[in-house]
Order: sequence, then structure tokens, then C-alpha cells
Amino acid sequence: MSKKKIDNTEELDQVINIPDDEIWTYQVEGLAAPHIGKPYKNAGAKKALLAIIILIAVSLSCYFSVRTVQSDTFEYKENSQGYEFSKFSNTGYIKEITIDYVTEIEYDQENPDVTSNFTFIKDETMPITSIREYALNCDGVVEVINIGPEVLEIDGKSFYSCWALQRIEVDENNPNYCDLDGVLYSKDMKTLICYPPNHDQYLRTKFGYETEPYRADATEEYIRDIQTYVVPATVETLGELSMNYTNLRRIYLPEGLKRIETLALFKLHEPKDQWSNTPSLDNIYSYKTDAEILDSAFTSQEALGEVYLSLPEGLEYIGSDAVSYNQELPYVYIPSSVTYIGHHAFWDTLYEEGGELKGVTEMNVAADEDAFKDVKCGDSWRPQYDYMLFKKSISINYSAQRENLE
Amino acid sequence: MSNNSGGSLMGKVKGLATEIKTHWNTPAEGKYVPYKEYKDIFIAVGSNYAGSKILEYIGFWASCYLIMHHYKLPYLTFSVIGIINMPLGYITALIWWFVCDNLGFLPKKTERKIYAVYIAMALFGISTIVFDYTSLFNPTSPFITYLNGLEGMNATACFKTFGTHFLYSGWVGARNIFWRKKLIPKFGRYKYSLYSDVIPKCIMVVLIGWLPVYNIPDVATRVWVANLLFATYNVFGFGNVLETCTKSISPNLQERIFVRSYPIKMSHFAHSIIAIILPVFVGMLRYEWADINLYRYIIPITFIAFAVFTMFFAGRIKERIPQPPIEKKVEIKFWDGLFGVLRNKYLLINTVVGLIDSLGNGMLPFVTILYLYTFRLSGLPYSLIVALVSFAGTPPDFLSPYFLKRFSYKQIMIFYQLSRAIGNAAIAAAIWFCGDNLSLCGTICIVVLFFMEMTKTVPTTAGHDMNVRIGDYQMYLSGERLESFAGIFGWFTGPITSFVGLIIPIFLLKFGFNSNWEVLFVDASRRSIIAIPIIVDVIGFALMTIPYLFWDYDSKKQNMVMEVLKRRAEVTQKKAEEEGVSTDGVYTG
Repeated sequence: MSKKKIDNTEELDQVINIPDDEIWTYQVEGLAAPHIGKPYKNAGAKKALLAIIILIAVSLSCYFSVRTVQSDTFEYKENSQGYEFSKFSNTGYIKEITIDYVTEIEYDQENPDVTSNFTFIKDETMPITSIREYALNCDGVVEVINIGPEVLEIDGKSFYSCWALQRIEVDENNPNYCDLDGVLYSKDMKTLICYPPNHDQYLRTKFGYETEPYRADATEEYIRDIQTYVVPATVETLGELSMNYTNLRRIYLPEGLKRIETLALFKLHEPKDQWSNTPSLDNIYSYKTDAEILDSAFTSQEALGEVYLSLPEGLEYIGSDAVSYNQELPYVYIPSSVTYIGHHAFWDTLYEEGGELKGVTEMNVAADEDAFKDVKCGDSWRPQYDYMLFKKSISINYSAQRENLE
Repeated sequence: MSNNSGGSLMGKVKGLATEIKTHWNTPAEGKYVPYKEYKDIFIAVGSNYAGSKILEYIGFWASCYLIMHHYKLPYLTFSVIGIINMPLGYITALIWWFVCDNLGFLPKKTERKIYAVYIAMALFGISTIVFDYTSLFNPTSPFITYLNGLEGMNATACFKTFGTHFLYSGWVGARNIFWRKKLIPKFGRYKYSLYSDVIPKCIMVVLIGWLPVYNIPDVATRVWVANLLFATYNVFGFGNVLETCTKSISPNLQERIFVRSYPIKMSHFAHSIIAIILPVFVGMLRYEWADINLYRYIIPITFIAFAVFTMFFAGRIKERIPQPPIEKKVEIKFWDGLFGVLRNKYLLINTVVGLIDSLGNGMLPFVTILYLYTFRLSGLPYSLIVALVSFAGTPPDFLSPYFLKRFSYKQIMIFYQLSRAIGNAAIAAAIWFCGDNLSLCGTICIVVLFFMEMTKTVPTTAGHDMNVRIGDYQMYLSGERLESFAGIFGWFTGPITSFVGLIIPIFLLKFGFNSNWEVLFVDASRRSIIAIPIIVDVIGFALMTIPYLFWDYDSKKQNMVMEVLKRRAEVTQKKAEEEGVSTDGVYTG
């Protein structure tokens, strides 16, 4: 018994004879009857019903939409240890927040000044013990964050893309975290957690610079005071996203640093002119010292002990996008201690200008070709350049000798 | 035998050449379009289409590269602006509908009233931009503090955004009446907008790239100024109107199909070439897609070049459909039209499908993320992958007639929804389980995209065909196609879809996606931000099969409907002839 196949092109096998006076009313079998040129039954009631339905639909939609997009300034979630600070929505005028206890905002009805007509009411029976990832996300107003004594856990992505953030101050009684001149560290100073993206503004105020110069106008003194950072000798890990989007030009890493996590040094930049930004990171240096360097301010290379170019000996892990989009970086040397390089770790550290390649044009690797095969490398970890309309990764210089400081 | 067929082929080619030469300037008997106009159509439609496609790089939406890399506006802000604009949209839609259905030709008194409304709206809009209306309110009132708490906005920005929509609606509405009246008699109902809009559009395309609005440091100010800039940009159109115009290029049905099959399809090559070349130029920029020079030079220069070609050849394309004078257009009563479309079961089913589809509203464009944030493509490799995936849909197009003959619309659409569900589930699984292995994850995604593109063509063709049939069915039901009135379904679904469309952006915000797209470089974030919304979409596609189970409009019913329509045409023509009324434009099939 075979099933008949569908053929949608079959013609009708019958001719319909519709009398002249039934052309507007003839009903095809299986379809609704035509309704042409006739008044609708209960038209008034139907019109009213339709109008009411639309009105209710629009009103409900507006009501629920408005409720959905509304955010409290501070949002918390209770957990086993206390409260988790889960989200902050700036009113547009809050420049400093303190994360210690569950807080509500209260407005002063008498004060018309929107920048100062609010106060924070804290409930000291409800301590904040953790800060969720992306609790502050792309905030452009907050300049200072104060961390309370009972905050035990801060996610590395808690203060993501806070463009105006200058300082993170930690209560000295906090058992897990501390700050070094506004930069967030773990208490044991082994992990750099967050170098605020606008920390340079704080440093400018501190050192007496009135404005931020464009890249070409920065003096050597300005670069030393504002755009150079010495990662303390105790630090073993540059945390996830820890120094991304800062405007640093020179970074001194300690020998003893083991891990550079995902996006730790991602896209460092500074103003090129009034219209645009340009990559800032001019170089990465490493230093080896027996002295206890806990000051992040740069005075001289001599004060740091033995200083050499690029990544420190002893480094083991380079996360994905760890150093990517730093086109001014001229040189990379990967020490033999490295065992893992994440995908796109050095992506876009190269560009072409006037037919000439600039930036990281060659990847210098301490290990020989055989030894380097044991290093776990992610996709596209090297930068690429245009090659016959396609892209080609830069070459690897195996068994390379580290370049000397000029 | 092969010599014969070769000779016959040569003969055909020679015959075609002679035919083209003979009728280069004057059409053959029974035809209306000379071959010279085919050439004009090829260039004009090709330029118009390519130009309109280039404008897809500019838009006030989160995935526009200008917004993504330069304006960096919070993702949820676009939803907030949508909510602010929604109530006014309902009111302006009513007026717009009334004006458009009458092609801009209104009784003098009505015209004056509508002008007054539009001008008042525009003036109110300007006043909100010039003055800060928040000063009228207590700054600590719950209303103002609520507005200040909206993502990416503050009270001032909300008022200015609200006013911008008034300005935009008033300005566009008044222009609509003015230019339709002035230009439609001269250029026809499709082309006229090119003549009124092309110069301001070119200026706006240049300004969009060069005005440094994206450097405004305060995000709320940046939002409302950008909204104003893009609203002004949107006042002027450059749609693919010349292609629409060719739908009425000839009263001869065969000739019309021929024009649409050859010169029109060939004209789209211009866009295909640009789609390959443009990313190559972008790849040469220092910051590639993030380079502002894309919007300062590449897009304006390319667009203006195509705009010039379009305008040069637009005048050579003619509308030739017999139609009554515009002023004598039949007027459809509002409520009759509305009740008429509400009786159309198939429009209702499509509406339900659209509603379920809104589950995926607010999702980030997965393909953009795959190309730019997973593969980091640019230049020729980008062009080639995009072209490869797009090309996947072309070969099945040749098989469309077979599938349309062999399978019912219900079967095709259920297959389509299920194939989307399976494909998206595979993509979600790839991102979830091997998101940090870019080669593997990316390859799986590309293969699935290829498969999904392949299986999209036939359902798309079936959908276009069914839309025409639904129009026929509407004509059987109501005596008119009521295409404008079908928009009423949007009035019911709009409020729901706009609310549902908020769910995913709120979710994305929780997982770190806001104004900075570079969070997508974090593997773990990509998993939450992309995979979970895709899973929601998978559920939507699976649910969308249900309404199609009730689709029972088959070819037999369509044939019956066509018989009724033909019979109506015959009877009315006969009656008209008896009454001595003109029967121009009557087509009895």
C-alpha cells in the first residue's frame, strides 16, 4: 500500500460555478465565509473591546517594563556568611561608595543640589562579606571605592570597566585584602587584583599635574610619576583583568611572578588627541632583587636591583588575551619557565605603518623548538599581520637570547 | 547531434543579440520595457541596493560597530529608549497610517490639522532639547530619582530622549505629506523619496563619522545626544526603492517576471562584490573594525559613490502599471479593515509565531560575536567566511520548486523551526563545552551556520509565496488585501514583545555585558552571555512548531480561492462594461 505523494502543483479537477449574485458570499469549503460590504454584528461592542484590550496591553507592558528596568542603587543577596554585594546602579551623582554594610540611599527633600542631596543609611547588623562579579559594571562616575573590614571575598571582575575609578581603599582590619596607594591587593600582597583604570587621575592630583597630556606631549618626568608602575616584589599573580585599560607605559614585574591571568594587561591606552586614544604600553621590564620592594612608585632602575627587558624568569602561566592589543609594545621574550600561553595572549601587538611592521614583529622564546612543543599554547597566541590579503602569524625565534637594556 | 545543438545555441545567442539590438531603444510589440532600460535597472538597482546595504553599518543599535567601539552605550539603554518611545509610537502610527493609505493626498482642512499636529510635536521636541524640563520637578521626587536610576540615563536624558521622539515624529510626518504631494506626481510613488532625501542623507552619513559625540564623557549626555544624532540621520531614507519600483515596471506579467529574474538579480552582484571588498579595506586600518576611519572615510565614500550612481540612473526607470489617478484611490473604512484582518486565521497564526519568536529578542548577534570575538576575523578571511556561509543558501534555491511541490507549507515550516532549534542547540553545546578551544568551537559553529543557511532558503521562498497567498485569502475574505491593516497585529504583540525583549538584556547585564563588548574576550563570560540566550531561543524555535500544526491552507484551498477571485473579476468587469465604466487595470487571470 503506497502513500500518495503530495503534489502542490496539481490543478483543480473541478470548475466552480458561482452564480453572479453569490460572488461576494460564496464560501470555500474549509475556509471562513467572506464578509464584504456588510456591517459587523455588535460592531460597537467589538470596537470597545478591541480598544480596551490594546489599552490594557500597552498599560501593562509599560508598567512591567518600567518595573523591570528599574534598579535599586545597591542590591544585595544574603549568603551563609552575611550579604553579597551583587549590583550597583549609579544615580549619576555618586562618586564614592563604601562597601561594608547593607546600605540604602535617602534623599534630602530640602536640598535641590542633585550632587549632594543624598545620604547613605547603613544597617550595621547586615555586614557585606562578598562582592559579586560585575557588581560595578561600566560605571563612569564612581571614583573611590572603600572596602569594609568584613569583606572576605572579592571577585576579580567585581569592578569591571569602571572608567572613573581612581582608588580602592581597604579597611586595615580586613583579613583578606589590602590596598597599596589605592591599588587592590590580596592581604599577603601575592596577588594584584585591581589597578583602577583612572588611577592616573589620582596620581596626577598627588604629584601636582593639572591635566592629562596627549601621548606625544608627555614629559619623561610625567611618564615616571604617572605612567610607570612597579609591581611589588611579593606579587606572584597579576589577577584576571587586573590592569586592563590603564594608561601605563612602563610596567616593572618582579622575578617571582608566576601567573599573568586572562586580560591582565589588556589594551592599555592613553589619549592621542582630543578625538581618540592610542595604545600606551611602551615596554614591560622585569627586576630581580633581594630587597623587600613594597613601594609601587618608580624612582630608578638601580633601586630595583637587576632589571631586564620583558617577562620575568620564573613566569609559568600567561592567560588568554593577557597582553593583547598593546601595539606600542616593541619586544616580547618568553622565558623557558612558561608552560601555558592562552589563546590570543599577544594578539594585535603588531600593526603596519607605511609598509613597515611595527610592534612585536618576532616572538622571542628562550626554549628551543623541541622544548617549546611542551608548552601548551592556545589558538592565535601570536600576533598576525597582513600577508597576501590573508593573515600570517609572526615567526618564533627559538633559543633566543634576551635583549639587553639600552 | 552536438553540432546541431551547438549550432542551435549559437543561433539562439545571435537571435538574442539581434533582439537586444533591435529593441534597445524601443520595446518589442506587446512589451513595454526597452533593453536599454534593462541596463539602467542593472546599474540603478545595483547601486541603490548596495548603498542601502552599506547603511546597515550605521544604526542606533548595540551591534553597530560605531556604537560598539566608540559610543559604548549601555546595552539596556536601548530597551529603556524603546519603552520611552512606545506610547507615542502608537499615536503617531495612527496618523501615519491615515496619511500613507491616502498617499499624502488629504482634504485641505485635514491636511492643515495634521500639519499643525506635526509642527506642534516638532516644536515641543525642540523645546525639550533646548530646555531642561527636569527643573520643573523636585529633584528628590520619586519620579526623578527613578529616572536617574535607569541604566545609562538620568532624568534630563529621559526628557530629551522623549522630546527627540516628538521632534523626529513631527519632522518625518510633516516631510511625508509635503514631499509626497510635491514629488509623487513627478517621480511616482516609489522613487520620490530618493529625490527628497539623498542629499541630506549623504550629509548625515558624513556627520555621523565626523561629529565627535562619542567623546562626551558623561554617559547619560552621550546617550541623548547620540539618540538625537541618529534620529536626525533616520529622518532621511535611502531604502531599496528602485527595486520596489520595478515591481510595476510593466503591465505585461511575463515581462515583469523577466525583469525581476535577470537584471534585478544580476544587479545584486554589486553588493556581493562590496561585501567582499569592504572588509578587505577595513582589515587595512590600524584598529580594523574599531577604527573610526571606517566611519570617516570608507563608509561615506562608498555610500556617496553608490548614491550618485543611483540618482544618475533612477530617472530612467519608469512605473508603468495601469492604475486610477492617485486622488481617486478607494478609501477603506478603518474598522472594516481592522475587523477584516482579524478574521484571517493565518495572519493570527503568524502573529502567534512572531510572539514566540520574541523570546530571543535582545540577544546579541551571535554571528558577529563568532567572527569578531571568537575568530577575530578581519580583511579577506572575514569576507570569505561571510561569503561562504551566505553562499550556502544559493544551491538549495534551485531545488525550491521541487520542495515546494513535494511538501506542504506546514511540513516545510515545521522542518524549518526544528532545524533552527537543532542548529542553535549544537552551537550552544559547542560554546558551553568547548568555548575555550577556539578552533574546535569555531569550526563547529561555522559548520552549523552553513547547515542552517542551507536549510533556510526553501522555507524563506515558501514564506514569501505564502504571504502572497495569505493576501489572496484576505482578498477572498474582505474584497481587499488589507496589507496596511495587517499592521494592527503589531499593536497587540508590540507591548508583549517589548517587555519580553527586556528579559535577555537584563540577564546579560548580570553576566557582565553592558556597554563594553570586550567582556566577550573573557571565555567564561562568552559562555553565559551567548550560550544561555541561545538556549532560550532553542526553546522558542521548538515552541514555534506548535502554531504551524494548525496551518491548513493548502494548494487546493488556494486554487479554490483564486477561482472565486477570478469569478468576482469576471462578473464585476462584465457589470462595469454594461454600465460604461472604464475597466483599466482589471485582471481576470
